[in-house]
Amino acid sequence: MTGFSLDPELSRARRIRSRMHLSRSALNLGLGAVGVLWLVPTISLAVFSLRPEGLFDVSGWWHVLTAPTQLTLHNYSALFSQGFAAGGLLDSTLTSLVITLPATLLVTALASLAAYSLVFGNWRGRDVAFLVTVGLIVVPLQVALIPVLELYRSFGSLTGYNPFGTFAGVIIFHVGFGLPFGIFLMRNFYTGIPRDLVEAARIEGAREWTLFRRVVVPLGLPAAAALAVFQFIWVWNDLLVALIFLGGNPHQTLTLFLFDQTRSLAADYWIISTGAMVSIVVPLGVFFAFQRHFVRGLLAGAVK
Amino acid sequence: MTAATPEITRFGGLHRAPGRRRRNLASLAFLAPAAIWLLVVVVYPCFATIRYSFYDESASRFVGLANYKAVFSTDAILVAFRNNIIWVLVFPFLVTVIGLMLAVLSERIRWGTAFKTIIVMPVVFSATASALVWRTIFDLNPHVGVVNALEQTASDFVRPPGPYPVDANLGQSLAGLASTGVRPDGHGSLVSISTVNAGHTVELGLIGVSPQTLALLGARTARAPTAAPGVIDGLVWRDFSPSHPGARGRVYPDEDGLADLQVSLLRTGGSAVATTTTRPDGQFKFANIGPGSFRVQIDAQNFTSSFGGTFWLGSSSVTPTSGLSQTAQALLSVPLIDIAMIVAYLWMWAGFAMVIIAAGLSSLNREVLEAARIDGASEWQVLKRVTTPMLAPVLAVVFVTMVINVLKVFDIILNMAPGSSQAAASTLAFSMYTHGFDGGIHSGLASAIAVILFASVVPAMAWNLKRIRGQM
Amino acid sequence: MSSVTLEGLTKQYPGGVLALDHLSLEIADGEFMCLVGPSGCGKTTALRMICGLEEISAGVVRIGDRVVNDLAARDRDIALVFQSYALYPHMTVFKNMSFGLELRKRPREEINAAVAEAARILDLEALLERKPGQLSGGQRQRVALGRALVRHPSAFLMDEPLSNLDAKLRVQTRAEIARLHRRLGTTMIYVTHDQIEAMTMADRIAVINQGVLEQVGTPRELYEQPRNQFVAGFIGSPAMNFMQLEVVNEAGRHETTRLLGTGIEMQTDQSQAARLRSSGLQHVVLGVRPEHLVLASTNTEYGLVIAARVDVVEFLGNGTSIHARAGEQDLIATIDASEPPAVGDTVLLSAPPRHIHLFDPQSGLSLDPPATP
Repeated sequence: MTGFSLDPELSRARRIRSRMHLSRSALNLGLGAVGVLWLVPTISLAVFSLRPEGLFDVSGWWHVLTAPTQLTLHNYSALFSQGFAAGGLLDSTLTSLVITLPATLLVTALASLAAYSLVFGNWRGRDVAFLVTVGLIVVPLQVALIPVLELYRSFGSLTGYNPFGTFAGVIIFHVGFGLPFGIFLMRNFYTGIPRDLVEAARIEGAREWTLFRRVVVPLGLPAAAALAVFQFIWVWNDLLVALIFLGGNPHQTLTLFLFDQTRSLAADYWIISTGAMVSIVVPLGVFFAFQRHFVRGLLAGAVK
Repeated sequence: MTAATPEITRFGGLHRAPGRRRRNLASLAFLAPAAIWLLVVVVYPCFATIRYSFYDESASRFVGLANYKAVFSTDAILVAFRNNIIWVLVFPFLVTVIGLMLAVLSERIRWGTAFKTIIVMPVVFSATASALVWRTIFDLNPHVGVVNALEQTASDFVRPPGPYPVDANLGQSLAGLASTGVRPDGHGSLVSISTVNAGHTVELGLIGVSPQTLALLGARTARAPTAAPGVIDGLVWRDFSPSHPGARGRVYPDEDGLADLQVSLLRTGGSAVATTTTRPDGQFKFANIGPGSFRVQIDAQNFTSSFGGTFWLGSSSVTPTSGLSQTAQALLSVPLIDIAMIVAYLWMWAGFAMVIIAAGLSSLNREVLEAARIDGASEWQVLKRVTTPMLAPVLAVVFVTMVINVLKVFDIILNMAPGSSQAAASTLAFSMYTHGFDGGIHSGLASAIAVILFASVVPAMAWNLKRIRGQM
Repeated sequence: MSSVTLEGLTKQYPGGVLALDHLSLEIADGEFMCLVGPSGCGKTTALRMICGLEEISAGVVRIGDRVVNDLAARDRDIALVFQSYALYPHMTVFKNMSFGLELRKRPREEINAAVAEAARILDLEALLERKPGQLSGGQRQRVALGRALVRHPSAFLMDEPLSNLDAKLRVQTRAEIARLHRRLGTTMIYVTHDQIEAMTMADRIAVINQGVLEQVGTPRELYEQPRNQFVAGFIGSPAMNFMQLEVVNEAGRHETTRLLGTGIEMQTDQSQAARLRSSGLQHVVLGVRPEHLVLASTNTEYGLVIAARVDVVEFLGNGTSIHARAGEQDLIATIDASEPPAVGDTVLLSAPPRHIHLFDPQSGLSLDPPATP
């Protein structure tokens, strides 16, 4: 190999290079420390859920590093053995699912339809309508709480069915507030679909519904997946809407379950930590399974 | 009927294709479900809330601006304003900067993707779960809260607690310890009341020491000191006899000596000539003492208490506010709970900022950065003077998104602030909940707060619209 | 101002890909050296290693007498003009040019003077307050040059700076860069895939192919004495014609050697024959440039006769380009004909021996005699 001369210049230059390598290992160390610190809260929660209640405020959870045998699945079995009793952990998980899935599906479907209309429909006022939905993205939930409650009540006195306190009541609200961002996301993606494809299909005689179902939707699946993932996590993690609209319902969402625990006098942290672990496992799973889609949703989500 | 092509009329103009109307109808039909849903659940309520804000609690009587007046004169809500301002001033800036740092640095390590995954994870947790975790992290009890545990370890390292800690927070005092022959000297030590010369003895009695401490230090029965020439022989003992509970001053056979106390021999001037430590039976001895009168001091370091811990979740203010009026205090204090919550929220959202900025970073023209390096810029200068300005649009989007996010912050306050701090931690969204829904529904006031909340978001909304419109 | 020396410069990527294989080159102080080659040949990699933007796998780079292998880019006293100009989009033209000097904490008067002078040389004075987004491609290019100029570096490095310009602007800017070099006398190392740029601007050209240096020499040397088939085919536009011919050695009173192909026959002269015999080749590649082919009559004095059928005739203005076919071989001839042949005609083409190159079909190496000093 040429180049390895005894040139004093070269060896001095080589010493400079090793200084540069030092800063690279400093960077690795520094970022490694940041990564570890970032994981600490999550790990502490896991440890809390795996420790017996008695140890909670007597010895720091970090002692598990020196005494790992204290870990136990007792908390989980205790909560799971309650079965699906209303208000329990398992029932709350189910409730969250029953509310989150329909809300996600509805938002994805309706937003796709609306976005199609905004992109491929040639009616006047398209752009204005789109800008209005963009504006709606940032409207705070709080603004609609009281009026919607009132609407539900009026609807109830008119038809005898008041959505307040029902799962439907929560879902309806979530869909409403999920649509602006959903339409924004889908519309932006649909504008990237080559118009030629749609025009070609039109010339071949396809009607709007066929166009939508057979051309636009398949091409738009990545965005729909991103929206679904994003929406799922958003609704799953919600507290305020469930708090207001589930009212006296014996079934609670997981977040409500957690919140409720903090209000009880005993504040049993073993329940809270176990419940919190279950509540984060689902979004974590969705995140890892659909990472690319989630990130895409995040990138579009820099508006919410 | 296909009819995608326009027909040209006799006069050369374009005739609207017959299929077009059908197409437009179908198009609008697609929009309809979403449009109706939005109108009912989002658009109508905006107007309705504005209307409710001008009515009273039961939404039946028109009260004009009364609700708004109430908002601006209720201290609790003014505190909420203050907190919103603190959040908006501090959080978006910090989260953007941290996101930028993390995005830039994670580019340079091989395990950048794994790192980014770790940082982004908390974004998918509910604010409720995250708040509950961080509540434990900041817990006052060092057996629960990591932060206080570290504080205590550091503090004990720098200022180790003495064997007989006197904790002012628990109402203990040095004077309370002194029983026989000693008094506080005003500098944290106990000093013998009378002087002593070589060849004499001294007995110093303390009370208020728990049996557990005695057991911990391995104390034995107190033994009275014996005089010896050239020596000052002394005893520090627990002046409490179970058999004679009220008696003070005498060394009873069932009283215990106080071990491990550091005692010093002071000249009349106050300077120490010798130090020693009491034995398990409480005895100590200063040998080879010359002429003159001395005092015996039980040194201050015996009594240093362990660090009390910081109540991060509490409402004590970082800014000095003593001496101000009630309202001024409310408006100018920056409670620790705010800081704790902002830290937790940073953990929750920095990953979001980082991901977006990293995407922007990867779309930059690398060659411009290389040009800067060739021009002579150090890595820091490249970041400061080239990368960041080029990222300005992305940074702005992140910043504004976080401003909007922070104006609505609610879950974390509800779950992280303990009951005693919730009033100090309240924000507009939170106060809307407490004033609107806790204990019945107070429509008017809550609606007024909601309108103000809405109004605070409007500038960001306008900025967004302008940006999207420019892209269209 | 400095010379630049490359000794055994090598770039190997993890995974084994060898982008540059022991490139050794000496660029004299003040020389305009062009690195040419097809895309992916390693010329840009070499430039970036000289610059300090790419890690050197093996070999030494010297600027002047200093070994710069481990020096950071900013300490090497070189300036680089990027293909995409890489101007700072958020800074004015003035700031773009002054940035480097500001970083080096030069006094304000010095910076202003340097920028003013560069602006004057490059005709940028009217544009100093504009931002890159408001400039045309050609103007941006001049700003990129100006940014390099103000630093008065030891060497200018340029990475295909003209490829983003339209044809007319390219010709103009080519002349400007050449003028700049004459005026400044600074060493310039210029990377391009366009051999016309290299031929017109360079003092010397280094032809690189797949990481290997094929030949280095003046434009004339490369044009007239290509060392191998690659260089012969790369330099010159339209490219040199190559014909596969069979070597026929005839014994007899005069030992003659002929080259035969379909429709092609060449009677070699003495030196060519000698070289062919000593090489022992049975097949040879004959190369002749389109501009050296002439229409011949049957009794041409040249040894080479090609009978080809005309496929395409292109009127160029300053000549005529004929695409013809002899047997299986396509060739192009650029002739100066007042009466060009028609499509379908069979023409006879010939060329003087000094413009005929012979190559070994296996190795590609030229059989031509070494250049006379």
